[in-house]
Amino acid sequence: MNNNQKETKTNPKKGKILPAEKGIREEVLNIFKKALADNIFDALLIPAKVPNTDAYSWILLQDESLFDIADPLPPVMTVQGGRALSSFSKNGELDLKIAALMKPCEIRAAVELFKLHQIDLNLVTLISIDCPGAMPLTDYMNDPKKIGESFKKISEKWEISESLRPACQNCHRFSLMDGTASDLHIGLVGENNKVTLIPNSSIGNDLLEKLGFEPNDSLKEWESKKEKLVKEKTKKRDAFLKEWQEKTKKTDGFFNELNKCINCHNCMNACPICYCQQCYFDSQTINFKPETYIQKTKEKGALRFPLNTMLFHIGRMSHMVLSCVSCGACEDACPVSIPVGRLFSMVGDQTQKEFNYVPGLNREDPLPLQDFKEDEFCEVETPNECEEKVTEEAK
Amino acid sequence: MAKAVKIKKNVEEGLFDFLKSLLETEKIKGVFTLKKMDDNGAVSYSLITSPDEFKKAVPLYPFMPVNAGKALSSFTLLGKTEEPIAAVLRPCELRAFVELIKRAQGDVENILIISLSCGGVLSLNLMGDKDQESTVSKYWESVKKAEISPDTRETCQFCENFLPINADITVAAVGNKDLDKEFTLFFNTPKGEEFSKEASGSSVSEEIETKEINDFKKKREELKEKFFKETQSEDTGLKSLVNIFAPCLGCHGCSHVCPICYCTLCEFDSKTHNYPTSSLGSDLMVKGGLKVPSGNLLFHLGRMTHMAVSCVSCGMCSDVCPVNIPVATIFSKVGSSLQKEFDYFPGKDIEEPAPQGTYKEDEFTKIGEQ
Repeated sequence: MNNNQKETKTNPKKGKILPAEKGIREEVLNIFKKALADNIFDALLIPAKVPNTDAYSWILLQDESLFDIADPLPPVMTVQGGRALSSFSKNGELDLKIAALMKPCEIRAAVELFKLHQIDLNLVTLISIDCPGAMPLTDYMNDPKKIGESFKKISEKWEISESLRPACQNCHRFSLMDGTASDLHIGLVGENNKVTLIPNSSIGNDLLEKLGFEPNDSLKEWESKKEKLVKEKTKKRDAFLKEWQEKTKKTDGFFNELNKCINCHNCMNACPICYCQQCYFDSQTINFKPETYIQKTKEKGALRFPLNTMLFHIGRMSHMVLSCVSCGACEDACPVSIPVGRLFSMVGDQTQKEFNYVPGLNREDPLPLQDFKEDEFCEVETPNECEEKVTEEAK
Repeated sequence: MAKAVKIKKNVEEGLFDFLKSLLETEKIKGVFTLKKMDDNGAVSYSLITSPDEFKKAVPLYPFMPVNAGKALSSFTLLGKTEEPIAAVLRPCELRAFVELIKRAQGDVENILIISLSCGGVLSLNLMGDKDQESTVSKYWESVKKAEISPDTRETCQFCENFLPINADITVAAVGNKDLDKEFTLFFNTPKGEEFSKEASGSSVSEEIETKEINDFKKKREELKEKFFKETQSEDTGLKSLVNIFAPCLGCHGCSHVCPICYCTLCEFDSKTHNYPTSSLGSDLMVKGGLKVPSGNLLFHLGRMTHMAVSCVSCGMCSDVCPVNIPVATIFSKVGSSLQKEFDYFPGKDIEEPAPQGTYKEDEFTKIGEQ
């Protein structure tokens, strides 16, 4: 952790509270309009509604006129923001200053992708925003008007509605966390019709200064409301984890949830963490001769085609679950409604705890699989010595 | 005229028993067909060799979890099977398999092909639905009456090619109002006829193309015209395509499940199509804004030029699209005009080369040299 970040962490947090008479959306956009006009950034990555359609998408916006279609709080998560940012910043160094306004889970994915060298964050300012959640993509596409309207109501009240995506209903990380992920956070859960800007790094501080805002306002109101909601949602999440751990206690229970899979790999292609150009499970390595298939069939009595439908999920899981940010993009993309996001989130929760790792929390925390700690998992490797060490430490 | 055998059994049961006897008498060493996974309604294609496992086989269950042509291609990609097997697939799946064989992606030798007059398959989002049982029985009612089931895929609803080509054995299903009690098996090829003795029924002299079948075909042709007309929005061209494909996530699910898209790594998933970060400044200067990730529409157009001439209108692509883009209807429509231009019917003849694989001097003279 560098000094700048330490400083912002130890100081009691203050921010800038802005009135939003014309509405939250307008006010948030105004901040960025000013930032672009003042050349603080060269471009802004933000969700937008595609003209003449009900569809949402990400745009990298430079021309001011495009603010008309920008929407900081769209009813759906289309492409995961981390993936969108990576799509244009993984193939070389950025030479433009870019601000990215994303949901907290998208920011966390971006941080993980940064650690995996799939995003160049050098000239990127990450700006997170309090997230009311999003609606299931298919629900929205089936009836954009109705679902769009009900999202509006849900988001205004910060309601943990059952019409939200399951990942969002169970999300307790919808706001700023005590880490070094985003540079600036936009708080919305505080007072009504107010937007709270919270700097979270030296870059965030500079940004506020350049915008002419002095972060002198108390964050009490926002913090207390946020804490209340975090508590409520943590309770919801714990209940979800308990329910699903019970459901999938036996391997059979786990596989039953996945057996509708048709092998389309949409989950992987929507996942921000699955960044491989070609997945092992799409490669030629898994092609066999007919006699091998027949041999395998005879051993088991029957062989499912395409092969490795289950192995794919297990393989993918072992590769990415430590970095799983529980964004639910996989579940949104599944054509046969497998609760794949919930399964991965549940397994992620357990494995991440084992490594004491929260994906996307701190830019400096090394990826668990890249970090060797001599005494890690000693209870599995050398149980006897481990016991001695533990008792010694206790003394 | 093909040899026909009438079996006095419910069609699902009768076909099951026929396949079971082939397996038990070791006339074939395995059956490639749909199998129930568990009691949650899911089915998947499986190669089955053990009679015990075969108990879970549901050859005519109206779902297409993957296009069986694609699945058979993965089975025979590296060569033909030495042991004879039977495969039950729908007409469009069979056409896809034929197209894949032409592209050296599969081998039909030693595979007994069994297909059916097809009433379509249910949309995949109904798989595992709590009302699945009743949806399936409603489906069978419509098959008996030769009516178009509204629960089937859009491409199924307007499919006029529901009679199989190149099948060794055909199960006559559509338009048989007594499907619960009896049905007819047609043995179309010498290879098929070898197995006719295993069918416990009486020889009959029937044609597969009945009045019901022809009426059904007409109904579907009319729907096809309607769907194709609806897809042709007034504002055609690039602008319309931009709007239709606006919600596309770039998940490439459509290409993953497409039987014709057989590339191990799609050009559009390769590094060639990674956006060059260095272009960002100039692109923004010109356009003022960029939709990211970029290249979604190009992907669809590129895929279309690669496979539309062989599109068998199976509808897998629409079924997996998470944002409800009518991919299959669009591709089917483009495919059908393209196929007309080349006078080509995908899946008809294994020997006929795919249009891109052959050169005819007098082709498209109106745009080339006179």
